[in-house]
Amino acid sequence: MASSNTITQQQKPERSLSPWQIARRKFLRNKLAMISTVFIIIVTALSFAAPFLAPFLSPLPDVARVNIGSMNIPPNSEHILGTDKSGRDVLTRLFYGGRISLLVGFSATLMVITLGTLVGSIAGFFGGFVDNILMRFTDFVLNFPFLVFVIVLNTILRDTIDGVSVLIIVIGVLSWGGVARLVRSKVLAEKENEYVLAALSIGCSPLKVIRKHLLPNVMSTIIVQATLIFASMIVVESALSYLGFGVPQSVPSWGNMLSSANEPDVLQGKPWIWMPPALVLTCTILSINFIGEGLKDAMNPKSLR
Amino acid sequence: MKKNKSLLWLFALILVLSAFLAACGGDDEEATPADTETETETETETEEEGDGAAEGEPQQGGTLVYGIDAPPEGLFSSAFYGIATDAEVIALFDEPLIDYNENLEPVPNVASWETEDNKVFNFTFEEGVKWHNGEELTVNDWVFALETIADPDYDGPRYTNVQTIEGAEAFRAGEADSISGIEVVSDYEITITFDEARVNNLTNLWAYPLPEAAMGDIPVAEMSASEFVITNPIGIGPFKVDKIVQGESVEFSKNEDYWNGDVNLDKIVLRVVDNSSVVGALQNGDIDMISLQPVSGPEVEPLENVEITTYPGLSYYYVGFKLGKFDNATQTISEELPKYQDKQLRQAMMYALNRQEWVDAFFFGYANVVNAPVPSSHWNSADDSELNTYEYDPEKAMELLDEAGYVDTNDDGFREDPNGEEFVVKFSHYATGNPTFESRAQAITQYFEEVGLKSELEMVEVNLYYDMIEKDDPSIETFFGGWGTGADPDPSGLWKSDQLWNYPRYNNPESDQLLDDALNIDIVGTDQDKRAELYIEWQKIVNEDLPMLYIAELEEIVALNKRVGGIEFDVSGQNNPAEWFVTE
Amino acid sequence: MLKYSIRRLLGMIPMLILISIVVFTLAKLMPGDSLSGEIDPNNTNPEYIAEMREKLGYNDPLPVQYFNWITGFVQGDFGKSTKYKRPVFDVIMEKIPNTLFLGIMSLIITYILAFMMGMYSGRKPYTLGDNAIAGINYIMLAIPSFVAAVFAIYFFAFNLNWFPFGGSVDILVETGSAEYYLSRLHHVLLPALVLGAMSTASYTQFLRNDIIENSRKDFVRTARAKGTPIKKIYNVHILRNSIIPLVTFLGFDFAALIGGAIITETIFTYPGIGMLFLDSVNVRDYPTLMALTMLLSFLTLAGNLIADLLYGIVDPRIRLE
Repeated sequence: MASSNTITQQQKPERSLSPWQIARRKFLRNKLAMISTVFIIIVTALSFAAPFLAPFLSPLPDVARVNIGSMNIPPNSEHILGTDKSGRDVLTRLFYGGRISLLVGFSATLMVITLGTLVGSIAGFFGGFVDNILMRFTDFVLNFPFLVFVIVLNTILRDTIDGVSVLIIVIGVLSWGGVARLVRSKVLAEKENEYVLAALSIGCSPLKVIRKHLLPNVMSTIIVQATLIFASMIVVESALSYLGFGVPQSVPSWGNMLSSANEPDVLQGKPWIWMPPALVLTCTILSINFIGEGLKDAMNPKSLR
Repeated sequence: MKKNKSLLWLFALILVLSAFLAACGGDDEEATPADTETETETETETEEEGDGAAEGEPQQGGTLVYGIDAPPEGLFSSAFYGIATDAEVIALFDEPLIDYNENLEPVPNVASWETEDNKVFNFTFEEGVKWHNGEELTVNDWVFALETIADPDYDGPRYTNVQTIEGAEAFRAGEADSISGIEVVSDYEITITFDEARVNNLTNLWAYPLPEAAMGDIPVAEMSASEFVITNPIGIGPFKVDKIVQGESVEFSKNEDYWNGDVNLDKIVLRVVDNSSVVGALQNGDIDMISLQPVSGPEVEPLENVEITTYPGLSYYYVGFKLGKFDNATQTISEELPKYQDKQLRQAMMYALNRQEWVDAFFFGYANVVNAPVPSSHWNSADDSELNTYEYDPEKAMELLDEAGYVDTNDDGFREDPNGEEFVVKFSHYATGNPTFESRAQAITQYFEEVGLKSELEMVEVNLYYDMIEKDDPSIETFFGGWGTGADPDPSGLWKSDQLWNYPRYNNPESDQLLDDALNIDIVGTDQDKRAELYIEWQKIVNEDLPMLYIAELEEIVALNKRVGGIEFDVSGQNNPAEWFVTE
Repeated sequence: MLKYSIRRLLGMIPMLILISIVVFTLAKLMPGDSLSGEIDPNNTNPEYIAEMREKLGYNDPLPVQYFNWITGFVQGDFGKSTKYKRPVFDVIMEKIPNTLFLGIMSLIITYILAFMMGMYSGRKPYTLGDNAIAGINYIMLAIPSFVAAVFAIYFFAFNLNWFPFGGSVDILVETGSAEYYLSRLHHVLLPALVLGAMSTASYTQFLRNDIIENSRKDFVRTARAKGTPIKKIYNVHILRNSIIPLVTFLGFDFAALIGGAIITETIFTYPGIGMLFLDSVNVRDYPTLMALTMLLSFLTLAGNLIADLLYGIVDPRIRLE
């Protein structure tokens, strides 16, 4: 970035934009992606401001407290989205739930990307024996039925640290295989370029080559992949919590809120309890996907827009 | 350990424990045939008994659809089943030799008995009772059942109900070819001798026969997987099993040769209905009767074609304190834990609980607050007027805490213990997929916090929960629990200081003595009133001592379609299915 | 091709052994056993539980337990379910038809939807219809399947009463009658639709793009020049070429269906393998749990293998790797 800036200052600005700038322009012009971005920013902001907002949202700002006197109240002026079976304000919990769902999604994604990139780039760069071992291991992880193992592992580990961290680690550890494969193939292709050979021949350490030369080139792929993984990680969290195998029930998350739809009377007769998290979750996933697509388009030099 | 568990009743703990929110099926598996007296005796019953469904004369024919909301495990044999839902199925096609009336006293069914000393019992069977395969029921079938259960290869849980027969231990150890306490007099007469005289020998005795002609050739180890348990069970009840679809349905048809009167219905179809579908299925008339979860009650009440019937259950919920540690090797309480030893603290915590509000919120009116650990429908239950009822009184709770020295010394808003150390009530509750468990547990900690006791809630995986409690795991300090008591009202197994299942590790010699006396045939003889007196005395002590905070006893709830008639319930369960009928 | 297939098949064996070790270790690590949740004072006594633990071999050293389990497993003896007290094999076999039925129905639904939408979009790319289909696909892809399931139950089962909301068959129908099969179909439709919609999007988009690409190829031009009707060109010439790569999806669908089935079956309370699996986790029915985990792992593995092999047939270059 820095170098391209100096160049643009010297020359005429419109002409030579860096690939990143081109991408940014394209992205800004993509309406759907922009709306989605705004939506995600709002959801994130509201979620993380939940503790400060809670007192203004309802007379029952404590998300954890069970209020026997105010159970199952349909939406009204006091409780905009009503209250759930434990007498907790749905809107307040929705905001708090976003914190956990987004946090779990983000942390798990970070883990997946880090692990995947690490394994993939090492395998791709060194090739041969290292590649063989690492990819065998990757195959091994990829061949696990994901959901089955997440459920089993999470049941085992749930009580060891706290439920949320365990869930993040478990889904992180079991889902990096795809990224590793992707990064490996990109690195393999990129490695053939002369500049890598040149860097190596002037004595750059392999790690430095990976870090300085290869990774920046596969970065765009990783970023796009990361957004899509982010969305799927949020889904994984909420699906698991819905089934009762995710974060502990005491922690409000969208999945946990949705799990009340397991009870037929709630599903049928009290839609205000489960519909808000369902809708927010769906919109969030959609938005993240739109952003991902937007990024993909924006970073693809061949794309038309 | 003492064998004081009546196995005819399979109750609440499973109900409480069942890993899925669903599994609280019916309460008991006990049919009560010949139990036509529906009147009086206790106030609760007059109110709650009766069907209220179809009126008028019984009609012949028709099919009744019987719903259960959790799939049976599929062990349809009295000797082998493990869970309440299986027992519900069994109750439709089999019946015990000895039954229980609405006071939970044994009454003759197929077998009547005589005894002089509560040690030797002479049983006489009805003649002409036929198994569903056409063989006649004789005392040999009972002997076969008892010997199967006492066999070392037997993998079911009923041995405690046979163990007290003289010679059962020796038989099980392989030292004898038969149980010496069993003496067959004729095909219809049998004498059973117990190893010692006890007041509850009869209620504890295993009273279901097994069809020897059909099952006799099967090695005991393979019996629980045999066709007579899984796919083609045989009983002596008013209906016989036609077809079983594992985990989904069981079809029964009328037993034309039923020994005890006419059978009204042609068929019963038992269907597993998922919890989520129960209300809809009732509304559409897809099912005629089903035991309900308390949570479904309010939804079913408004349905016009369905009537709700309740009857008293035999289980209670409590919040226990860990007062000591149990040494399983010596069967004694080996160590006293200091944290909750102060009786005033426990009483204050009891006053702090608004049990009525809590029960109404989480059991929707289908449970009653209790003040002692004996369900109110037992004959030995103490009346509330004789007990401290601990009405919700936070002021009083705070007073008691102040008195006991639990005051807030560091102004953090919570009380410290008398030594000025931080005091935190650690409360544990089992966790399943059911989110209401967390809510209700948390509501309890909130009550404690309101009187200034800092509280922490820990939800423990249900599969570990009772194991941890049983092993006195240090992480469990106060805990939520439930017990089912069964037909035998003697609480010794859950309360005496030498019992593993005395989870609070309550150690009071006076209490132990009373419980022993009440079972001691030399002290009480066969006089039930005298026993009741001792039990009431005992309840006053535990009501004062509060080794656990008694919360509530559940009611059993049954929804009946209005076209169904002849179904009655009392505390011992449903009446004989032979009397059930449907109108079109 | 044969050599390649054999090599891949043999490659599965160490994988399966590794998975079996992992499965076994995990099962042993799980807190509690099937007996710890079943203490009932009216029903069991502590000696009974201790005795059963001994009988069931819970006290043997771990390698011995593993060896016993795996030798039995290879011979088709999956052990006895601690919950149902019956051979796990039987328990699983009872549920398999339901899951299979659900899986096949959902595949059929996927194919029908994908072909209809894909062919339309492929023939008329960049039109309003194409864009609408792309939009629908996008939403189907993004909505988590369990959310879709919940909404489906709410609208189609509760509010519109079009479908039953759970179970696999109606309560009062005679097994084997026409009504019975209709009822089963009726019950499976909604979950199959939800499950099937999940993978429809990828099929549709693939088909669309492939058709567009193929329609620019020489053989299409030739056919057109010969005067073959456009309809025939699309429905026969192009489609045939586009279906071939599509079959490789089948293998991957396997794996996706497994995960999907666990969720969908649970939400629709459809008694199949997925529900059995969750139930076995909940009640700590280890023999069932381990057998199912192995089975599901094996199916995932097999699915991936099939995908690779099919890919090898479609694109022979792969085999050289």
